[in-house]
Amino acid sequence: MSALKDAVGSHRQKDWSKHLVLLAFILIELFPFYMMLQVSFKDNASFIQNPWAPSPPFRVTETYQAPDGQPLVKERDATWGEVLSGSPKGHPADPAYQGGELRFDLGVYKVQNWGFGLKLIGPYIANTVFVAVSGTVASLFFAILGAYFFARYKMPLSGVLWGAFMLLMLLPGVANIVPLFTLLKDLSLLNTLWALIIVGVAGGQVFNLFVLRNFIEDLPKDLFEAAEMDGASHFKQIIHVVIPMSGPIIGTLAILSFLSKWNDFLLPLIILRDKELFTLGVGLIYLDGEYVKQWGQIMAAYFIASIPLIIIFLFCMRLFVRGLSAGAIKG
Amino acid sequence: MPVPLSPQKALREWKLYLFIVPSLLLVATFAYFPAASAIYHSFFDWQGGDNKQLIGLANFERALGDSVLWGSFKTVSILIVFNLFKMIPSILMAVLIHRLKSDRAQYLYRVLLVVPMIVPGLVTLFIWKFFFDPNLGVLNKVLDFTGLKTLLVHLDGLFGWGVFFENAPIGWLSQPELILPSLFIWGFPWIGTVGVLIYLAGLQSIGQEVYEAAELDGVGPFKKFLYIELPLILTQVRLSLILLIIGTLQGYGLQLLLLGDAGGPGGRGMVPGLWMYNRAFIAGEFGYACAIGMILFVFILCLTYVNNKYVRVDK
Repeated sequence: MSALKDAVGSHRQKDWSKHLVLLAFILIELFPFYMMLQVSFKDNASFIQNPWAPSPPFRVTETYQAPDGQPLVKERDATWGEVLSGSPKGHPADPAYQGGELRFDLGVYKVQNWGFGLKLIGPYIANTVFVAVSGTVASLFFAILGAYFFARYKMPLSGVLWGAFMLLMLLPGVANIVPLFTLLKDLSLLNTLWALIIVGVAGGQVFNLFVLRNFIEDLPKDLFEAAEMDGASHFKQIIHVVIPMSGPIIGTLAILSFLSKWNDFLLPLIILRDKELFTLGVGLIYLDGEYVKQWGQIMAAYFIASIPLIIIFLFCMRLFVRGLSAGAIKG
Repeated sequence: MPVPLSPQKALREWKLYLFIVPSLLLVATFAYFPAASAIYHSFFDWQGGDNKQLIGLANFERALGDSVLWGSFKTVSILIVFNLFKMIPSILMAVLIHRLKSDRAQYLYRVLLVVPMIVPGLVTLFIWKFFFDPNLGVLNKVLDFTGLKTLLVHLDGLFGWGVFFENAPIGWLSQPELILPSLFIWGFPWIGTVGVLIYLAGLQSIGQEVYEAAELDGVGPFKKFLYIELPLILTQVRLSLILLIIGTLQGYGLQLLLLGDAGGPGGRGMVPGLWMYNRAFIAGEFGYACAIGMILFVFILCLTYVNNKYVRVDK
């Protein structure tokens, strides 16, 4: 077995050098993620003082002699250097400086950032979950119906209809957005979440149909015939044969569809006007447009925006990895 | 394969057509209708309302003389060249992962590769924007910390770029000359999760015996890449190449969010899609925007045609 494995790569060259390069790539790749997480526990002052590493759980109390003779107490987060040496750095150049004290304090971690972040982004997440879930379900439901039509029998006209769908794979969608906007205006769907759902469902049809048709065609014909013998209608055959048999592929498509809706921002940006309706995409753009930024709160909001995807990832890692490869093949 | 039906049986199964109706209606309304509408309206002077005036080819004539549009095509060509270069790390990474001896390590790296995907694209984008911030941004801090900034200032003095100064923070997204370099640095180290997974799928088809034969012939790692791995993933490389070109040509989300709807300072980041967006939603010239869309559409259609004709994707 090991001899066989060794055939990939070289006998002489050990793997550690490859691991080194790969880990370097991965670390840089994950660096934004790390920054997001650690900055989310800081306020702007401690972020400017120490941008790279998480703060140590210590604070420094500094006493100054104010001009009127009263002692003046200032507090700030400790730096790692001070914590490691065990004493505050002090300010020898400042004659008013009298002394400082280092003390353990978990309050340097601004957990309240997360509360603010949730308040900033929570409503947007709720809207996005609504759009993404209902859009994904509807999209897959219609695509399964359509794919069944193409896969089960070769009906008259089905070739032409198939061509009409596949042609869209070749057509670039870039010119569509302007007329789409006026179309939605005419349907009085502007500034509604329904517009996002419907357009999303329509956009996903071609790819989902393409994948599902190929999959359903490969299901054993006997199953359908047996179901038909038992008097199952086509719809019942879909419910009892197609859907149970194609669980993984439906899951994969669902993840791809959910991801694309979660990341969508161009259409929502054009369509949505009311702040209560903002989806994540527009909400994040809106946050970015504020002038005075509390980076800690914003980073916490960013992290919260990723949580639903993290949950999906944890539960369906295999589907996720495979789904992305499948999406890759579709291109 | 689908079972062929006799016309009589098909007539009896007419209800099946109901299954395709929802998809068909959706696609007709939200894909075909807008496309047709774009073609139709590109011949009109149209503000998006009910009033429109047929002006024939005037929109296209205007586009021919539109220096912003042609400038944006130039910018997008540069971006395409950048993106071609940015494909290299993904290929390298796929080959490295494929050459690992342990299957478990291979799977682990695949999972680690997918991890960045759980951060929504927009969040990644804004974090990068934050990296580019002149005062707080990580990029400037790294340059200061490693002393690369001094080098850049020296080079600036040598070549007279007039871009980098000793005492001023580098305004990556606010200096016109730096817009394109910023877009180049963007996304470092340019690992595309999807790209790596495609290449890995391609590499998987290389049989062990090929490596064994190469091993016997004493072929080195680089030659192995050149003669075994590269030819086998060439299909995938070509496929992602063409998708990349098409994607870059149509894409404008990044530029819109990073630089605003005018393409940033000096309009250096203006791309055709963004110009279309700008004309439609900022200037309200919907007819002209449709014409720009059509021009872009024709470009991409030609590329797709070339792709289908010359770049065969063998399964």
